[in-house]
Amino acid sequence: MAVQQGLLYTKDHEWAKVEGDTATVGITDYAQEQLGEIVFVELPKVGKEFGVHKELAVVESSKAASDVYCPVAGKVAEVNSQLEAKPELINGDCYGSGWICKLKITDKKSLADLMDAKKYEEYLKTL
Amino acid sequence: MQGSASAGEFVFEPPATEPGPSVLYDEHVRLTSKSHIAAFAGYLMPLWYSSIAEEHRAVRERAGLFDCTHMGVLEVSGADAAEFLNIVTTNEVPSLKVGRARYGYVLDAAGNVLDDIIIDRRRENNFMVVVNAANEPKIKFYLHELMEGRATVDAEQDGGVGYAHRFPQGRARDPMHDTSRLEAPTNGGHSPPYGLRVAVWDMRDPNRARDRRVDIALQGPASMDTLARLTDDAAVVERISQLKSFAFLEEQLAGIDCLICRTGYTGSTVAFELFADPKQTPRLWDLVLEAGKPLGVVPCGLGARDSLRIEAGLPLYGHELDGKFNISPFGAGYGWAVKLDKEFFIGKAAMQHVAQTYDMEVSRIEMPATRGVRPIRPDDAILDKRGTCVGWVLSAAKVDEKQYALAYVDRDAAQEGMKVGAYYLARSQSQVEQGRAQAADKGQKLTADLAGTVVSRFAKF
Repeated sequence: MAVQQGLLYTKDHEWAKVEGDTATVGITDYAQEQLGEIVFVELPKVGKEFGVHKELAVVESSKAASDVYCPVAGKVAEVNSQLEAKPELINGDCYGSGWICKLKITDKKSLADLMDAKKYEEYLKTL
Repeated sequence: MQGSASAGEFVFEPPATEPGPSVLYDEHVRLTSKSHIAAFAGYLMPLWYSSIAEEHRAVRERAGLFDCTHMGVLEVSGADAAEFLNIVTTNEVPSLKVGRARYGYVLDAAGNVLDDIIIDRRRENNFMVVVNAANEPKIKFYLHELMEGRATVDAEQDGGVGYAHRFPQGRARDPMHDTSRLEAPTNGGHSPPYGLRVAVWDMRDPNRARDRRVDIALQGPASMDTLARLTDDAAVVERISQLKSFAFLEEQLAGIDCLICRTGYTGSTVAFELFADPKQTPRLWDLVLEAGKPLGVVPCGLGARDSLRIEAGLPLYGHELDGKFNISPFGAGYGWAVKLDKEFFIGKAAMQHVAQTYDMEVSRIEMPATRGVRPIRPDDAILDKRGTCVGWVLSAAKVDEKQYALAYVDRDAAQEGMKVGAYYLARSQSQVEQGRAQAADKGQKLTADLAGTVVSRFAKF
């Protein structure tokens, strides 16, 4: 299961890539692998604010609908609208073209609870 | 565990057990990642090997091999085995020919569906009964309680009249707790009259001395040619190719004794189930995959099994049978497998009533699943053309650019060819905030999210 260095991770298998006050958010390789073929993504609305662990998006595979929780408090600045026509980008490139949205971080303190790549790898071993 | 006789309802609490490896667990771990293996009906089973869509396609175009070793396989034998099964199941048993199989139901005396089963007649007084994995402990216990005279046979006439007298206490053989040699109990002088001479045995039991059986299924157009590659005997190949639907043969494949039955759960017209000794089954599995490789045969997991059976319109116990709507065989579209003209079977009185009064049934609905179309899910509402909720989705599956729902709907609102709509229930808090309903009631007015058509109840491939 691929874990990318330089990203922050949640126990629910979301990742966040923090650049300045923006966080790009997606789901991890472990999550996409568990879901199987992703056939639908419900994206959040641009401008909407989310607290930590609020339901940010819904990712649906042929077998299950799964919530994507917000890894860091922020306001949606941009969404990956490519996923509307090509939800399978998450299966193929979850850390790249399969990103879900970009958040303008409103509370940097919430980043402290996230795991780095090494910790997330260790966490995966416990599952 | 408890059997209850009140109003003829049979209540069973399955014992809590840790899921164990299936007979083919080592094969699965070799063929796929452990993250694709999950607990199902007490066994660790593969959800998929490559992908659900790829395995589904393989079965439709080539063939797929399924681990069904979790399915219950019981032997019912003895001089009165046919009469016993004729009382305990809904379909006609005495007329079943040796070498043929028949689909039917086990009901309790209140008419609740306890399981859907296939009965294979191997000899005049010897039957193999295949039951759902999830229901196996319940069915074993139910048969045991019936034979011990502790489960209700006839809700209206219990206690010595009707057919209950065929199940007097202590008469029949304790099916699962007796490990002695298979021998039908005889009507000894010390026994009361009327008792049925029948014994029930678990054919998967590793302690069984001989004739142990577990099930693997080879389904799809290439399955015949695959089986042909497992024997050098042209006569065996000829007999397999002549096998009719719901007929079986007992032959050797690659030196392994197999009961080869032309049945399945995928809607494939060319489809086999192979019942062999659990110790030999890993080798049989490997040999089938090896022989089928040039023909494009692949192993298939529970995911494809579900999408294939949904596309074909086949019911899954707990969803399109029984379950939260207590769906009867009539509601499921299988009234033909309930023989109301039989003199008696357990649950007959309830079925006579259901046959006259049932007003909802399972329908197969086709909807688009082009890119960006959200999948329909269980409990989503089915709407008539005026937007009135007429029922709910029970199971759904995406197949290429289409999705199929098996839905429980008003009978007059779901005739083949009718246009219907689907309404997605809220699946997240944000959808609830946007006003999407979390549940739909029959008769409620809703706006369809997706248009669909009621198609034939079943599909063959």
